[in-house]
Amino acid sequence: MLLTMFIVSIIVFGITEIAPGNVARKILGAFATPEQEESFRRQLGLDHPLYVRYLNLLIGSDWRAERFVGMPLERIKRPGTEFYEWWAMDEDGTPIRWKLEGEDLIALRLQPDGTVIKSIDNGRWQTDESDVSTFWGIDMHDRAILWEKGSGQTYWLRTKAGGFWVEKASGAKKYIPLQKGIVRGDPGISVQTGRPVAETLFRRLQNSAILAAIAFVIVMPLALVLGLIAGLNEGKAIDRILSIGSLAGTSTPEFATGIFLILIFATWLKLVPGATVFTSAKAIFEKPEMLVLPVLTLTLIELGYVLRITRASMVEVMGTAYIRTAFLKGLPYWRIVFKHALRNALMAPITVIMLHVNWLMGGLVVVEAIFGFPGLGNYLYKSGLYKDIFAIEAVALVMVFLAVGTQLVADIIYTFLNPRIRYA
Amino acid sequence: MGVSEQARPPVIATRRSLWQCFRDALAPILASKVALVGLGLVGFWVFVAIFAPLISPYGPLEQDPEAMNLGPSAEHPLGADHLGRDLWARLIYGARTILVLAPLSVLCALAIGTTLGLIGGYFGGWIDEIVMRILDAIMAFPVILLYLIIIVTLGPSAINVVIAITIAGAPGIARLVRSLTLDIRTREYIAAAELRGENPFYIMFVEILPNARGPIIVDAMLRIGYAVFAIGTLGFLGLGLPPPSPDWGSMVCKGRHYIWLSPWAVLWPSLAISSLVIGLNLFADGLREETMRYQ
Repeated sequence: MLLTMFIVSIIVFGITEIAPGNVARKILGAFATPEQEESFRRQLGLDHPLYVRYLNLLIGSDWRAERFVGMPLERIKRPGTEFYEWWAMDEDGTPIRWKLEGEDLIALRLQPDGTVIKSIDNGRWQTDESDVSTFWGIDMHDRAILWEKGSGQTYWLRTKAGGFWVEKASGAKKYIPLQKGIVRGDPGISVQTGRPVAETLFRRLQNSAILAAIAFVIVMPLALVLGLIAGLNEGKAIDRILSIGSLAGTSTPEFATGIFLILIFATWLKLVPGATVFTSAKAIFEKPEMLVLPVLTLTLIELGYVLRITRASMVEVMGTAYIRTAFLKGLPYWRIVFKHALRNALMAPITVIMLHVNWLMGGLVVVEAIFGFPGLGNYLYKSGLYKDIFAIEAVALVMVFLAVGTQLVADIIYTFLNPRIRYA
Repeated sequence: MGVSEQARPPVIATRRSLWQCFRDALAPILASKVALVGLGLVGFWVFVAIFAPLISPYGPLEQDPEAMNLGPSAEHPLGADHLGRDLWARLIYGARTILVLAPLSVLCALAIGTTLGLIGGYFGGWIDEIVMRILDAIMAFPVILLYLIIIVTLGPSAINVVIAITIAGAPGIARLVRSLTLDIRTREYIAAAELRGENPFYIMFVEILPNARGPIIVDAMLRIGYAVFAIGTLGFLGLGLPPPSPDWGSMVCKGRHYIWLSPWAVLWPSLAISSLVIGLNLFADGLREETMRYQ
């Protein structure tokens, strides 16, 4: 499993970052100049060689930056806010960052009460033989930077308010965006929003998990029971209806199901809202009726598949010799079904259900896109549209990890259900 | 000379006519009602796709400003979309794209998957180990995730859709072919071919592959269904063919914004995708049942 995840991470990284040039173009818009693009790429650390970027993604870049800065770097929560920031730790233990004003290096020292004390800190310049003064430090945007005195370098900064770009003087020659790496729970900063990916990701994952769990709890018993009913009545009218219904359900694209449910229940009948709007983090509990349509859509998609497997498995078991023996012994019908057939018949569907998590996630992406549900799938979709590469990588790896993990669990459960299988 | 001529069996007696071959191939399909229904559904779409210009008087991009968002009428049998384009025309031209792209992508996946599966299954050893490890990793992805990141990187276009479906589909095929190969490799005729000193690739493609074709074909049929589904979903997410090409998924996506005015623009393409997928699934199911019975 670890090996699989390792290969997966290489594949994800390879697909998303082999051609990063157009990332800049996508974010900056069509009117960006080549200088702006170049500056943007450098600030994101996209000018580093591939293997360095891969390591950044996986195990972070702070340890690499630490060697240059010569001080321990730490990600600390700024007192009084909920933002995490990177600071270098000075010898006396105060967090310190720098900025460049003209030719002067300004040290910013963070005090325990959250205030920052500024002081001129020109003593840190290191001058080499050719009389060039340089300094490695941490700037105010969580990056390790190599400053050069009087180099006349400029960079482009997107102003928070207008979203347009201004050119600013700075002596920054090299950037290393600081991150802890995905293994240590920090996949970087979202290119689109400028906020840490992990934060958004975690919230989205929660929302998706709630949605998927509700759908799962509704679908599985329903599908198993209906499948058993269909399997026991093989060839009768009820079996035909259920089989055709499940075939139609699985063959209708998720997006079509979702849209028609919106049309019927939200537009015509006006029973439930047709889109999910989250005004607060707890909205999911305050307005549970928003979840009705997404859950219903997921249910309809998933129901048919599990139902068919259950039906086929039940039909097979009911045709076996030991069931016929039970009948010949004159056991009552329900006793045969529940005591003899059920456990064997449920084996196939339960493994399929667990392996089905992959499929469920695919459904989630589409359903969340339709209803605007702020879940993992929607996050992936939106960051895909904006080419927010760090977010894509993080979501992709989390999704694959969940899928691989559930498959492992499925294997383990299967050994409990089926005593004939033993893993050495 | 004379001896060899005598030894050659009489040609006419053993060689079946072309019609007979055709009928033999068709027998399992004709024997199963399920497969026939499926074939009918698929055949319908193939037919309208081929004769699209003859069936509809409108082109897929022709606009009729008076018919915008109108339901079915005598002029437009299925109605028209928000730009007044005839839905029936768009549907059948859309069938053209989807019926080219879906089988094409499955064929590509088949070519790659079969080759990898044969190589892994036949050679075994570390080649098998490496190939299967990588394919397992790809299979660990939820398919839609794979489609999304590939298309996002490469940009939406018909070729990239094919590439995405190929990458996502090949590992599954490779696994199937590998398991079949592992089984067939133990047969006597393979040992005989090895003894003759045949090239390993000859053995793989000429001896093993034809004997594994049954399950592969059934699997490919199912995969075409998935591919139709995938192309539709990608189109809906705006990652399929760029507009204004008549693509079923993007028809749904566009029609969705006007669904309050007329649900037809969403209804027909959805039904089209469903019917095509159902047709392919039924066809594959029927085919599988029949081939199983003969074995």
